[in-house]
Amino acid sequence: MSNQSSLSRTLTPDELQRFGAEIDALRARTVADLGERDARYIRRVIKAVRWMEMLGRALLMAGLFPPAWILGTLLLGLSKIVENMEVAHNIIHGQYDWMNDPHINGKTYEWDIVGTSESWRHTHNFRHHTYTNVHGMDDDVGYGLLRLFPEQKWRPFYLFQPLIAVIFAILFEWGIAIQHLRIGRWIAGKTSNAKMREMIRPVGRKIKRQLLKDYVFFPLLAGPFYLSVLTGNLCANVIRNVWTYTIIFCGHFTTNAETFPRSVINNESRAHWYMRQVRGSSNLKGGWLINMMSGNLSFQIEHHLFPDVPARRYAEMAPEVQAICARYGQNYNTGSLPIQFGQVIWRILRHALPSRAARVHAEMVLDR
Amino acid sequence: MAVPSQGSLSRLITPLIDPAVFDFWVSYLNPAWSWDRPLARVVARQLQAKDTVTLVLKPNRHVGAFQPGQHVNVSAEVNGRRITRSYSPSHVPNGKGRIAITVKKVDGGLFSQHLCHDVQVGDVLELGPAFGEMTLPAQPKGKWLLLAAGSGITPMISMIRALAGVNMPVDLSLIYWARTRAELCFVQELRALAARHPRFKLRLVLTREPERLVDEEQGRLSTEQLQSWVGDLSAHQVYACGPAAFVKTAHELAAPHALRFHAEAFSLPAAPTTPETLPQTVQVELRASGRTLTLPTGQSLLTALEAQGIKPASGCRMGICNTCACHKLAGTTQHLYTGDLDAQPASALRICMSSACSDLTLDL
Repeated sequence: MSNQSSLSRTLTPDELQRFGAEIDALRARTVADLGERDARYIRRVIKAVRWMEMLGRALLMAGLFPPAWILGTLLLGLSKIVENMEVAHNIIHGQYDWMNDPHINGKTYEWDIVGTSESWRHTHNFRHHTYTNVHGMDDDVGYGLLRLFPEQKWRPFYLFQPLIAVIFAILFEWGIAIQHLRIGRWIAGKTSNAKMREMIRPVGRKIKRQLLKDYVFFPLLAGPFYLSVLTGNLCANVIRNVWTYTIIFCGHFTTNAETFPRSVINNESRAHWYMRQVRGSSNLKGGWLINMMSGNLSFQIEHHLFPDVPARRYAEMAPEVQAICARYGQNYNTGSLPIQFGQVIWRILRHALPSRAARVHAEMVLDR
Repeated sequence: MAVPSQGSLSRLITPLIDPAVFDFWVSYLNPAWSWDRPLARVVARQLQAKDTVTLVLKPNRHVGAFQPGQHVNVSAEVNGRRITRSYSPSHVPNGKGRIAITVKKVDGGLFSQHLCHDVQVGDVLELGPAFGEMTLPAQPKGKWLLLAAGSGITPMISMIRALAGVNMPVDLSLIYWARTRAELCFVQELRALAARHPRFKLRLVLTREPERLVDEEQGRLSTEQLQSWVGDLSAHQVYACGPAAFVKTAHELAAPHALRFHAEAFSLPAAPTTPETLPQTVQVELRASGRTLTLPTGQSLLTALEAQGIKPASGCRMGICNTCACHKLAGTTQHLYTGDLDAQPASALRICMSSACSDLTLDL
């Protein structure tokens, strides 16, 4: 069966197996080389995050002087971006668990965002990374709020999605905080009130802690400059929200990012899972600044192939992944941030209106 | 040191403190200060014997007390990885709470080489809580025989110092085996103690030294040796420490005859597992739930635990989501996909992709 809806070639079972073996070999080579340099790197990034946060908060205390407010807000926002993306997201994936450092541990690290690491591990590490772009399994496909693919059923509600998408960007951390609650299921009566209360409790504690920190403790510490610190913190959180939203949406919602029907996960082999990660993900070209600012999610494809390999390694793995994909005729989806995000915006606008999938999903592997 | 961990002030501020952030900032003042971690700074390094170094440590307030003869886990980072090994610490005489560990370089031993060569004054090590049954009673009395081989001297010197500190209330004999004279540790101190305390008898035994001094003996541990040097064991409490083979011999020779027998053997790195040596089943201790189960090898620990009706947190079942990761305190596991063996304690073992190769202790 030829595959008209994909830029990637349909593989024979044998080809798929060899494709998987090449990805495995690349992984093994990289993992064998992990050591001192990776440990030093993540500690340096953590150091930069803490110093930026300290300087940012200090400048905001002098926030009556407008340049100090602006610089303080930017530094604090930058600190939160790097903490969330390059430090927390990657540590929570267990990328640095081999260090055996209790402060850099995927199961215990708690990040600077209203959502809990615990719920993130479920919605992101498990659901999103295992069932990437599978309709009905990966809640990141539209986050239960947006219609980005024609396979999602259209409802009149989606006519408002250009506006909803903007609000979602500004409040992105709140979306992450409540994603695992699946409020839609609760409204529909599929989740009991008791279960809901039980799930809300830890999130509530985390939200309280974050709100107290950014909107009570540090503002009060500033005394008369309460308002300057409070507004600075609010803006820093919003800057972080909009940026992380932008990067994350570019990862799976570009024009050529593929989504999959539920049936693909039946008895799925590891090699097939690899192929699905490549086809469902898209990279950003942009050099070290974009790499650092996105927590190396500019290498979304590599991240999805190797979610537990330290992200600083993706840059050196990417050319090899690209070469492997070329050998097996798999589309390696990459482009600049404006191009990729432009495609995301187009999806948000286009699929607000009714749309139909061009074709049913074609086979990715030939039947024997 | 650092901030009090008890008291009302601490109770008030503890919920506000992120220990990782606290440790980060105070480390600029003193790298051994910590909110909650037992750390110790290396304050002196002494060459103790050939290939053997004594590190004098200044512990922070979180380092717990230990009894002479006990062991503690010492952790340090080697090539980015935190590695942990057990050493027997001793109190430094008149040392203001300082403690010492003596480390012999083991061929191919990553950690002992790191401690002997790379660790410098000012570096920080993490210390775990003390463990081990080979300790002194509250009121030591009677006749005691200490059998030490190689690094097995380290818990013994700790006990000997403690006994000397209370004016040697027992008849104490130490037989201390080493291969060569250059490898003997604490020799001057031991000779001085023997000279000062008539109830303390010291016998140094060298197994591979061609020329011996007057107070040095030769030969491996044997019944004849014990007969001629100690005589009747039935009135003796015997303590033995050294390599596993030495302790096994000591147990065979002395345990049936002695009043009481205590021993500590060095745990050796697990031998590589081959399909022939892999046991059919292993004992898996689940530390947090206080259960020990017999599980089959050759399948994932997650599957094996689930078959026993235990439901650990899990997600993808393919080793990517990190949901099932748990702390492995001891034992050897094999990665089901890559086949790699891991005999080290690990902070995050993914049980969905690991099978047991030996008895295990997991923090589940």
